[in-house]
Amino acid sequence: MSSISQVIAMINQLVEDGVIERYAIGGAVGATFYLEPVATLDIDIFVVFRPEAGRSLLSLQPIFDYLTARGGVLEGEYVVVAGWPVQFLPATSPLVDEALADAVTVQVEGMPARVFTAEHLAAIALQIGRPRDKARLLQFVESGAIDDEHFQAILARHGLNNRWQEFERTFFRGAK
Amino acid sequence: MTFDLKRMLESKKVLRRKLAARPLAEKLAMLDALRERALALRKAAGSMHHTAVRETPGKYRTGQKKTP
Repeated sequence: MSSISQVIAMINQLVEDGVIERYAIGGAVGATFYLEPVATLDIDIFVVFRPEAGRSLLSLQPIFDYLTARGGVLEGEYVVVAGWPVQFLPATSPLVDEALADAVTVQVEGMPARVFTAEHLAAIALQIGRPRDKARLLQFVESGAIDDEHFQAILARHGLNNRWQEFERTFFRGAK
Repeated sequence: MTFDLKRMLESKKVLRRKLAARPLAEKLAMLDALRERALALRKAAGSMHHTAVRETPGKYRTGQKKTP
């Protein structure tokens, strides 16, 4: 079993034990479900908490407590699990909210793993817009891993059309 | 072996497609190996300041949503 599979097993346990309501893998590890693997140093896990009466602030502390009690090690904003720094990210934008709701379940070494759709991973990469996000978006487009109609609908819903046009002008000028 | 750029780029594309089509478990194991290699390179470059090397987190538009 790969180390990432061990992390996924631990995250599934977080759901089973009621620490979080659901999760989805994003970032470079999420992209690897659709594309060729690209080196990354950490794992992004987006989480939805169980609604609790009287709790109005989002806190990752229950996750940290749960994982450190099971051998995880806190390193700044990360918890190191099975050798991988894992960053937990609450849904704090409508796009990520939607990506979490639409995430798909994929079997990994006999266990379920929730991962963002390719179209949401691409849209989030466009929204974040760092150089490595742009590189990932290019991978998605060039590989044909995204459904264009679905992707365009997401861009329209989240006001990313202009950003996409700018991206196309920059990277596909004369190529399309 | 060729020095024809067009053919080289095409062969890279084919390799990437083959890698993308590998079984998921195999691709995740590749991520493990790639990370170890990246860490070794960073250590060698003397840029490691922490026991856990990390990337700059993305800005996921915080603060736009209030919880109930």
